[in-house]
Order: sequence, then structure tokens, then C-alpha cells
Amino acid sequence: MKDAVRRLNVEYGFNLSDQEIDLVAKQAEEAALLFQPLFEVDVTGITPLTKIDRRVEKTATGKKGKK
Amino acid sequence: MKAFDLEGLTIGEIAPLIRKKQISPLELTRRYLDRIKTLNSTLNAYLAMMEEDAVATARRAEREIGKGNYRGPLHGIPFSIKDNIATKGVTTTAGSKILADWVPDFDATVVERLKNAGAVILGKTNMHEWAKGSNSINPFYDTSYNPWDTTRIPGGSSGGSAVAVAASLCLASLGTDSAGSVRNPASLCGVVGLKPTLGRVSVFGGVPGTGGYTVNHFGILAKTVKDCALVLGHIAGHDPKDPLSSDEPVPNYTKLIGRPVKGMKVGIIKGYFEQSLVGEVRRAFEEALRMLKALGMKAQEVTIPHMDLVPALQAASTRPEANSDHDHYLRTRPRDYSPGLLYGLIAGLLIPAPVYVTAQRIRRLLCQEFDTAFESVQVIVAPTLFTPAPTIEDCNRGYIEADGKRINLADRAGNFLTRYTIPFNVTGLPTISICCGFSSSGLPIGMQISAPPFQEGKVFQVAHTYERVTEWHKRTPQL
Repeated sequence: MKDAVRRLNVEYGFNLSDQEIDLVAKQAEEAALLFQPLFEVDVTGITPLTKIDRRVEKTATGKKGKK
Repeated sequence: MKAFDLEGLTIGEIAPLIRKKQISPLELTRRYLDRIKTLNSTLNAYLAMMEEDAVATARRAEREIGKGNYRGPLHGIPFSIKDNIATKGVTTTAGSKILADWVPDFDATVVERLKNAGAVILGKTNMHEWAKGSNSINPFYDTSYNPWDTTRIPGGSSGGSAVAVAASLCLASLGTDSAGSVRNPASLCGVVGLKPTLGRVSVFGGVPGTGGYTVNHFGILAKTVKDCALVLGHIAGHDPKDPLSSDEPVPNYTKLIGRPVKGMKVGIIKGYFEQSLVGEVRRAFEEALRMLKALGMKAQEVTIPHMDLVPALQAASTRPEANSDHDHYLRTRPRDYSPGLLYGLIAGLLIPAPVYVTAQRIRRLLCQEFDTAFESVQVIVAPTLFTPAPTIEDCNRGYIEADGKRINLADRAGNFLTRYTIPFNVTGLPTISICCGFSSSGLPIGMQISAPPFQEGKVFQVAHTYERVTEWHKRTPQL
């Protein structure tokens, strides 16, 4: 992750210090761990939510657990 | 003219007096402006005053009402507006250094609608930098201070709005809520905060980068549930300028107010809302539940299978959306963000696109799970926060001490001050926070009431009934 932050540092011109690069990389690593369980949900046949409707049609899939 | 005391004043009480010409909108406005001059240096609720405009609008209201042209219950009513909502000709900073000098040449739709209703806008309220946080400790404009104890945060990001309402520096305020930013400060300052259904109120004119798109809402802070209902009736409804706004008809929200709740079922979600819950908040919430049962409601446990994914869904939605809005400033003015926010935004650039899309798919699943729960209950209730207002020092060191334990204010899953409010952002459900008690040190405690999409009326019905039989909302901070 540190390399990715370094690349962004150059691309965006942040002028981050090494300490700041470590800090951002740690945050990005924590976020990656947080998001991991999202990929364990079976979302087959489910489209992204873009707007709230009064009634939402239920889909048959969507059971919790690994695919 | 009738004598009146600004503290304890509500729109519901004062509007009929304005209509009958027993209270002058001009005098009312001047009284609020004087009070702001006295108290704002202590509370830092307002960033910019609109004194000249406010006096001119109030004078016009007085003239119109005098001629018999009464526009409705917001005519002549003093409001404040959070500083990430565009106001024509008035600086709109979003609590940021980057937009310190931005003066929009247009009004947000909600501001336009308030103006059309004859409301008087007193000024713009302080907030957390870019609305990206919930304590309103702002490095550029100073912290807004909680009127119940000025060593404590007011919550946020609509901190200044909640302070302004709680300290009687306006009758109501408009805020924004992408993670609890209306309900959280409402709870910590002891006022009412409503986040309507996603799309119920246009978000046109919200400053880009202060809330994203999929979980962001405009909301209302006021002294009573009825006042919230009155305001919502004026700002809700489809807006061609906001493609995500709903064309669902706007009902008369005050209609259900006063109707009995006997026989209605209230849902409780176990587990999620017990994380780090402080004893005093637990007791206040349990007492509120007992009160709802005493009013004839039946409590029932409901299960939301994917509830534990809510923090991930919230982060996966808001962070990439924030990056989409902030990219230009990240490239041109990175050091004009506070360091903490800058680091978070850079980390957000590393979130893969499938995370964002998968989160939006799971959000639909979660909404379906709430729909299923709402087949057996009419409303769901939960505490608004796990703790009463932390001190500013607590926030700076990152933890509180309660019940003999140290409780961190954030973890990998994000900010703990928004942990209880984000389920209703991710699902877009209409949710209100009302005061349900006070801690032993005199700090307000809040309870959320949520209903199915577009059933704000039901939220108001239950919240008002509870409010009517309790006295919490009548307490005012000693200033």
C-alpha cells in the first residue's frame, strides 16, 4: 500500500513526508480489511441502489454467507 | 404587541400570533439578532450574519401580513442555514479554508422554498470542515460549543445549527445529514433533528464534497416535532434541479400529529445499537421504551441480517463519492485541508471501484431487510448516540471514559459518534432524533424513530406523542 501512496504522492503533488505516507497507507490497509466482508455477500441478480422508492421489490437471492 | 420570551418559543406557538398580528416579525427578528450578538462569541454557532437581509425580509413580512397577505406558518419565522447550503450573495464556506471566499450566485432549492414561504434567514451556521466529521471542532473557524456545557462538543457536522436552535438563536435551522449530521448534533444539544427519506427533499445547492450522492440528505433542526413537520411541508417535494429528488406527493405532515399510537408496533434491533452503549444512555432509552409501551405501543424485536455491514457500506459509499468531488482541490490545494481530512481523502483514492459498486448492491439488500422488518412493525427505535456529548478534550485524545471503561471514539469501521445514525443513511429511511432524557451531569440524550420510506408522517405521529407526555423538550440551557 505504501508504494501506491507514493505513486499518488507524485501524481497529485501532495509533498507527503515518509511519516505521512505511512499514516495514509495504514488507513488504506484498515479500509481494505473493513471492505473485505462485502465480497462474501451473494449479490447475484441484485442491482445497485440509486434511488429510494416507496416499495422495493424483493429479490430471491441475498442470503448472508460466502458465495 | 404580545410580550414573549425567546427561550421556549416554537414555530407552532408563534405562527398563529404572527398571523393575528399580535407579534411583529420585525421585532421578533431584531430580538434574535440581539441575542446572537450577545451569545455568539461564547457559542460560535454562526459564521456569517445576514442582518440587513433579515431585517428587510421581516419588514416585508410585516407589511404583507398587515395587508392580509399571510403566506403560511413560516411567514416571518427566523431561520438559520448550515454553511454548506448555497445562499445567493452570501459566503458559503462549507467550514473549509478552500471555500472561505465563495459567494454563490444562486440559492439552494430549500433556501428558495423557505424564502418563498416568507421565512427570515438570520445567517449561516458553523459546521465540521467539509461536513466530514461529527464533532464540529473546526481548525479554520473554531469549534461550535455545546450550550449545555461549553467544554463539550455540540456534535456535527451541523453543530452550529443545533447550537443555534438549542440556545434560541433562531427558531429552526436547515442542515445536512450523510452520516447523522442532523440527528447527532440534535441529540447532543437536546433539540429535534429530522433526516427525511432519501430524495424527499432536494439537495440541489448542497456544496459538492460535503455529503456525496447516495446517502446524503438535507434535514431540519427545530425545537419540537410539530415545528419539524411544518418546515418539512414547505421544503419537501420534487425538484427538477435535483434528478435524485422524488416525485412522491407531499402530504400534510401535521395531519397525523396528535393521533393516538395505541396498538402500533415498535421494532427494536438487538446487538448493533448496543455497541459501547453507555449506561446512562441505555437507561434513558429503556425508560423511553417503557413510555412508548405505556402509550399503548407494543415492542417487538426485529432482525436485520446484514446489519453488521452498515459501517463498511457507509464508508464504501461516502469515501469514493467524496474523492470524486475533491479531486480538483486535492491536486491544486492539498495543504488547505486539515491534515486528518487530507490523509483520509488520499486513502480514499485507493478504494477499488468494485468495492463501491458492491456496496450499492448490498444497500439494496439491506433496504429489503428493513422492508421485511416493517411488515411486522410500524416504526423502529434506537438510541441516537452511544454517549451524551463528549468533551472537546475527549475528542482530541480520541476516547471517553464511562462506566469505568475507556471507549474509543473511532475504530477501523470509522467514527463511533455516527455508528448509530448511519444505518438510516445507508437505507435512506426517514428518521428523527428527539430528546429522551438527560444524563446525571445535565446533558441531553437522544432517541431515533424511523419508519418506512416516505412515511415521515408516522415518524412525526410517534415522536410527537412521546414528546407530548414528556417534558424533556421544554428544558433550556442556562446561558
